[in-house]
This record gives sequence, structure tokens and C-alpha cells, in this order.
Amino acid sequence: MPTRTYSQAINDALAEEMRRDENVILYGQDVAVWGGIFKVTDGLLEKFGPDRVFDTPISENVMVGAGVGAASMGLRPVVELQFADFVITAGDEIFFKAGMWRYMHGGAHTIPLVVRAPSGGSGFGPEHSACPEAFIMHAPGLLCAVPSTPADAKALLKQAIRLDNPVIYFEHKLLYQMRGEVPDGEVLTPFGKAVVRREGEAVTIVAWQDMLRRSLTAAERLSQEGIEVEIVDPRTLNPFDRETIIESVKKTGACIVVEEAYRTLGVGAEIGALLLEEALPYLDKPFKRLAIPDVPIPTSQHLVDAIVPSVDDIYRAVKEIAD
Amino acid sequence: MDQEQLVKVFTSAVLARRFEAKIVELAMAGELPPSLHVGAGQEVAQIAAIEALRPDDYILYGHRGVAYMVARGVSLADMLADMAGKEGATSRGKGGVMHVVDVPKGILGESGTLGGSFVVSVGVGMALKRKQPDTVVTYFFGDGTANRGPFHEALNWAAVQKLPCVYFCENNGFAISMPTSRSTAVENIADRAAGYNVPGVVVDGSDPVAVYEVMEQAVARARAGHGPTLIEAKVTRLQGHYVADQQEYRTDRNAVAEKDPLPKLQQTLCDRDILTQADVDDIQADADRQIEAAVAAMRAAPLLAPEVALQDVYA
Ligand SMILES: Cc1ncc(C[n+]2csc(CCOP(=O)(O)OP(=O)(O)O)c2C)c(N)n1
Ligand SMILES: [Mg+2]
Repeated sequence: MPTRTYSQAINDALAEEMRRDENVILYGQDVAVWGGIFKVTDGLLEKFGPDRVFDTPISENVMVGAGVGAASMGLRPVVELQFADFVITAGDEIFFKAGMWRYMHGGAHTIPLVVRAPSGGSGFGPEHSACPEAFIMHAPGLLCAVPSTPADAKALLKQAIRLDNPVIYFEHKLLYQMRGEVPDGEVLTPFGKAVVRREGEAVTIVAWQDMLRRSLTAAERLSQEGIEVEIVDPRTLNPFDRETIIESVKKTGACIVVEEAYRTLGVGAEIGALLLEEALPYLDKPFKRLAIPDVPIPTSQHLVDAIVPSVDDIYRAVKEIAD
Repeated sequence: MDQEQLVKVFTSAVLARRFEAKIVELAMAGELPPSLHVGAGQEVAQIAAIEALRPDDYILYGHRGVAYMVARGVSLADMLADMAGKEGATSRGKGGVMHVVDVPKGILGESGTLGGSFVVSVGVGMALKRKQPDTVVTYFFGDGTANRGPFHEALNWAAVQKLPCVYFCENNGFAISMPTSRSTAVENIADRAAGYNVPGVVVDGSDPVAVYEVMEQAVARARAGHGPTLIEAKVTRLQGHYVADQQEYRTDRNAVAEKDPLPKLQQTLCDRDILTQADVDDIQADADRQIEAAVAAMRAAPLLAPEVALQDVYA
């Protein structure tokens, strides 16, 4: 199987879908001539021309809002925001226009829009580093993808472009250079199907993107000590595969959510509530969250390291539960 | 604008005026929610502008009344059902009178956040340019709405892309209680067109022929691929912001009736022997018949089932 980086996988998905369907257009700041500030869309202008791949002014509201209007009239726009944090900058257009334009018009409109949002990482400061997926998960009308591998980056994006609903597709900045096997051809990852990335009995970890990577590293270390954790990657947060998490917790009796986001009312809080409602009899240990304490994300790396869950944090949390 | 079109504008304006009066009556009686922002005084401009469009052109509109829908022949009964939450409601109980939608008739809908349709219109324009060349989209919005940020982002990018969009501002001098002169640095909203390198035109919104002519030019420009135009029609809001507004803030509230363009239009049509008083009576009676039939249909329709609240979130 060929190996591709996460970033190349996204580029491949875009190229394949644009080739397949001429209604797919791609735009955003610096995406065309320069190939995007993270170079994810490199070469697409040359392949598809300026009518389908184009640069926009620094106007996040109209970038997203135009995506809604264009989608409602038969195009399938893929909009790149330079930083995922800007889903808040374009809040009216993300939450109200993309999320509600169909509903408030009684289903008269269909909005096949994809907003690509580079999330996470560090060194960019409080307004350029967040993983704001909980905001999206909270909002009706928005699907939400959080690909964690190059294969999923491609297959989830291809699927997102074909769906008839708006999708906020978070691509993690620290994963862009991650290399992995990506099957050739028409592979689509269905929305709403989590995957168990590692099987074990000791505890269920739910994590995605860079927190999944860290969890897998911690799991290796724990395995050497005879502790086998099970790791569930949700892949999409809306729709959200509750079943796979509950099934895993039935087996392990314990659950830790690791997330690169503010703790209060994060995705972990939702999973905790889910377990309380539907899996309490199976929980032998208290539910645990590892998350960013409720502060903005600073710029200096050592300060970021002080607040974002680390491999050590995950290792210790599991040990506490497993011991 | 030929005589036939002028009569058409008058006929639609009469229907819109009387239909809204009926809605207010039903709202006062508690039969419908008091959610209408009456468009009285602005219908002639709204309808004359729409008359300059083709039926296959699209409309995004603001909250000021239902004349846009009346001009396009949207079912009156369905709009009443929108307000009553009954079967037939165009937005199935989700949007009320504010989000009436009829895509085959070119009525695309409304953004509840003022000015939200500036940005949507750009995308509609992008799609039309690629998929339905030769059609245009017009967005109707208020003077107060022009102070929202999306105005700027949309006008600029629509101009850069030379999109087939027309921006039609209905300047009625107020945003709820706030006079435009206290909220807006320029005298005319249309003056801002210079900032986007597009034509900006001020027109007397009580004169349907003048409105039609500036719209005709704007639409021709949009169709030809030269991009948007910003039109500003000076209009008068004859009534309060919404049904129960007493307008204590308004010093001119007792003098506005004489600015009503509808009796003026009627006078013109009669003076020029285009219509007789008997014709006018017929037009009014016909409007009332349509309205009564619509009210009867709305009353006969069942309420939407509660589970409808759960539908239409996703395709
Ligand atoms: C973003 C936003 N802010 C405020 C409101 C509440 N609001 C509804 S109509 C209105 C006044 C609008 O004035 P204008 O655009 O001049 O239109 P007019 O009512 O005069 O027709 C306001 C403030 C809203 N719906 N959306
Ligand atoms: Mg106004």
C-alpha cells in the first residue's frame, strides 16, 4: 500500500473529488496560487484552473456564508479557513447559516458544504491553536470530522464532500507530516463509525488526532508493564458513535477521555454524561477527563506543554485507574 | 416600464397592503403571532424592483413585510400557515413569516441575523455564474442592516468576482427606534458603493417607474457579467417597526400618511386613464377575495405535528 502524509492525503482527496464532480470548488485565503499557508492545496490550481480553485480576501464571514449560498444552489464548495479558531470568527455563518439555513427554511435548501479547519498545535497563540470541535458538536445542523490518520484524512474528506450536509472538517496541524498507509482508490470512511485503534482490557481511552497519537505512545509504555488499554478513535463527533464507546466500557469498566480542548463542557464532558446515562452499571472506576484547564492556549512551547495532556499525563492517569 | 407593468405593480401592492392589514387584524385578535414587520409604505418600491427581474431570477429579502412574496405569487394561504404553524407552511413551522421560502418561485429565504444574506447572496451569485449564467440574485435589506460587517465583506468580494448580484437597500430612515442619521456616517448608503468600485444609485422609492429603471440597469449590468450595483431607495415606513410598536420615538408619526406611495400611484393610474375607479374597485375586491380564501384555507388546515420540530435539520 502506498504511504502518504496526512497533508498529501487531504490533497489527494480534494483532487479526486474535484475530478469526479465538477460542482466541487475550493477556495480560501492563499489556497490557490500559493497552495495554502500549510501547503495542503499545492498544485490544485494548476490541475483545476482558477474557476474552481481560487484565493479569497481576508473575509471569513463571506467565505463561509458564500459557501452556504453556493451549496444551496448546487455547488459543493470546500472552504479552507486558515485556522480552526476562525469558526468562531465566522460564527454567524458557521452556526446559523451553515447549521440552520436548511432548518429555518423547512428543508427547502440542501447545504453540501465542507469547511476545512486546521486545528491544534502550538506556537500560534490563543487565537490560532484551538481544537474547537466541542463548539461544533454542540450546535445542531453541523457534521464534524476529526481524522487522525492519513487514511482517514483522505477517506473522511472524500465522504464529507459527498454528503449533503455541512461538515466542519478539522485537520490537525501537528499531523500534517504524519506518514501512513493510504489505500488507493475509492475508499470512504462512513460518518458515525468509531474505530478501536488498540484493544485491551484495563481501561477505555477515547482520543483523536494528536491526543490519539499521544495515547498510543503511552499505551506502548503501559503495555511493557503489562497494562493493556483499549483506545477508541471516534473519527466523527457528529454523528457520534456512542455504541462503540459503550461496548468498550462494558469490557474495560473504566474510561478516560483525552482532549486537546478546554475541559468544561468539552467533548469529554459529553462522553461522561453519556456514560452516566447509559453505562453506569458497567463503570467500575470513576470516569476521568484529561483536557486543557480552562485557560486560553499560550504561545511559548513550555507553557503549552504545561497545559496540554502529555504522554506522561496519560500514562499516569491510566496507572491510577489500573492500580 | 409599460402601462401593463405599472398596473401589475399597483395590483400586487394593493394585495400586499390588504394582506398585511389582515395579518395585523388576526394578530390583534390573537389568532396569529404578532411577528410581522409591516411593509406598508415600502411595497411599491419592493414590487417595482421585482418587476424588473425575470421570473427565473432569485430573491433574498429582509424582514420588512411580505410584498416580495406577493409579487412572486407565493400562496397567501401557505404564508398564513407559516404564521399559524399549520400544514402548508413553506418553512414547516421553523421560520414563521420571517423565513418564507419558495425556491421554484425564486424566493430563497431570509437570514434572521440582519445582513446574513449579504454573504449568502455572494455564494448564490457564484453558483449562478457557473450553473445558471444569465440569471441574477437581488438582496433587499434595510438601512440599519447596511451597518453590519457582512455588508462590507460581501460587497467587496462580489465586486471582485463581478458576480450577478444586485443590492437593494430600502432606506426608511429608521432601524427600530434609531434614526439613520444617528447611526450612519454617510448621508446615503449608496455613497459607500465607491468603496467597492461599483455603481451606487439613490432613487425615490415612492416612484415605481424610477425604481424600475434603476433596477433594469443594475440587472442588465449583472447579467452582462460586470458585477453588482448598490441601489438605495428612499422609502417611508408608514407604521411601527413591528405590530405593537407605538413609535413614541418618532416625531413624524402623524405626518407620514401623506407620504404613502400607494394612493399616489392610484391617482397617477387614474389621471392617465390607465385605470378607472371601477377598475380600482375591482382590484381591491379581488385582493380581498384572495385574502378571504387564504384565511379560510389556513383555518381549515391542521396544526403541524409536534414531531415536525425534529425534522429538516439534516438532508
Ligand atoms: C444581527 C441582528 N441584530 C439585531 C437584530 C434585531 N433587529 C431586527 S430588525 C432591526 C432593525 C433593522 O433596521 P433596518 O435594517 O433599517 O430595517 P427596517 O426594520 O427599518 O426595515 C433590528 C435591530 C437582528 N435581527 N439581527
Ligand atoms: Mg430601516
